[in-house]
Amino acid sequence: MGGVLVRPIILTVLIYLFLKFIVPTLPHSAPLPSSLIFLYLMLTTAGIVIFATLSGASKDAFFGPIFRFLTGESGGALSSARYLVLALFPLLVGWQTYGSTAFSDAPPAENRTIHPAPPGEYTGLSNPVPKTPDNIMYGKGLYASRCSPCHGNFDGKGFAAPGFTPPPANFKDPTTIAMLQESFLFWRIKKGGVGLPVEGMPWKSAMPRWELELSDEDIWKVIMGEYDGAGQKPRTWDESE
Amino acid sequence: MARVRRPGARWWVGAVGLVGLCLATGLQPAFSQQSVSVRATLVKGALPADDPTAAVWATAAVSEFPMSPQVHWPVRITEVTAKSVKVRGLHDGTTVAILVEYSDPSEDPDDAAALEFMVGDTKAHFAHGQPMAQVEGGPVNIWYWKNKDGKGVDMGAKGFGTLKPHAHQDVKAKGVYQGGAWKVVFSRPFHTEHVDEDTQFKPGEFASIAFAIWDGKKTDTGQPKEKGSEKAISSWWYFRADAPPDYSPYMYALLAVALALGFELVLVRRLKKGS
Repeated sequence: MGGVLVRPIILTVLIYLFLKFIVPTLPHSAPLPSSLIFLYLMLTTAGIVIFATLSGASKDAFFGPIFRFLTGESGGALSSARYLVLALFPLLVGWQTYGSTAFSDAPPAENRTIHPAPPGEYTGLSNPVPKTPDNIMYGKGLYASRCSPCHGNFDGKGFAAPGFTPPPANFKDPTTIAMLQESFLFWRIKKGGVGLPVEGMPWKSAMPRWELELSDEDIWKVIMGEYDGAGQKPRTWDESE
Repeated sequence: MARVRRPGARWWVGAVGLVGLCLATGLQPAFSQQSVSVRATLVKGALPADDPTAAVWATAAVSEFPMSPQVHWPVRITEVTAKSVKVRGLHDGTTVAILVEYSDPSEDPDDAAALEFMVGDTKAHFAHGQPMAQVEGGPVNIWYWKNKDGKGVDMGAKGFGTLKPHAHQDVKAKGVYQGGAWKVVFSRPFHTEHVDEDTQFKPGEFASIAFAIWDGKKTDTGQPKEKGSEKAISSWWYFRADAPPDYSPYMYALLAVALALGFELVLVRRLKKGS
């Protein structure tokens, strides 16, 4: 009898379970914020309502049970449920109103862009230093003395890392240097945290401005050592096309 | 006319489930405590502005922040004594007191601690307000305490090498060394006359805060182990002084409940008339 409503509800629940538990397990994915899940569920509900009101008959079939439930015509065990819903709805509205007006202990949300666009002069630069074993080894040596205190064994877990927020990048993570071009790393190493644009929140980054201490050639060598040590390859124009 | 099927006893179970889903997703209350900020609570009695060991500090929420060696500036250090700081805050409505506690194996004259704040709404780099390439940064306000000086110093900086004490001194500080740990309390009125140099606190609003610690133990060279930019630091975290109690959200919630009830009554009445 309630099949008209049971199907949409099952569909909504399945979509929720998919977003909450399946999506985070997909490759390169992450848990979705509850606000985004809520938005998707609202879109799903809107779609169901649009589908159910395409014709007069389907509209009656969809809303009929709801109307009868709300007016108490259903009778039986549903009467208790009706009172429960009628009592819960105002309480939920009150709770939500309190939550949105009461002082929050949560600090301001920070939408920091982790890999912002570099200035134009750095875009597309190619590494001019030959990728020889000696150069890579030299770059690794510089990495060990200059970078590893924070970036550790290419995993972002150096002994100096814990006090910094945002944390030093983990180069073994496929979402860091593996998806970046060498020119991007050159810019980030040369100009450091203070070189970031506003969306990168430069005031929080501890990354040194290495142009004060390293030559451009040494920075290119560090980049080679970094990719080699992390077991990654830089993204190239060919691959991105 | 289309036949309308009567609802079964199963579907309302799904409806209740849907309400539960909404509760689990969009209607989460926005008042969960975060561990990235220092919270200064309002005290009714005297503020322990010059007593780091006062019993009332035990009533303040404690936050702990990891510390790192200063590596941003070329005169850097790779190993520091303070691995973390515990921070508490209290205020009396006009003055704020912040207690910093950290382990240090020895009491030394050059032991020192500092708090750092942004000034105004302009963002400032956590490393002494270093100039930023693409963002016009502001200065930082630094509250500094050194054991042998026995007082707080109100300072300002806009980049390394620009640190200097303010002409006005609004900060007080006192440190006590007990059981292998320092407890240092800094205090200052919420507001000062020097809005371009001093951070100004607004109860209920978040401000940025950072920490620095120096272990002043003498090395074989006769110099302190940590000095100048060779220190333990944190990057920016948050600080907030609690606002006075505000009961208006309860009133808004009651009003919302009354409106929702009214909506329900009108809806059900109209549906009954319609049927």
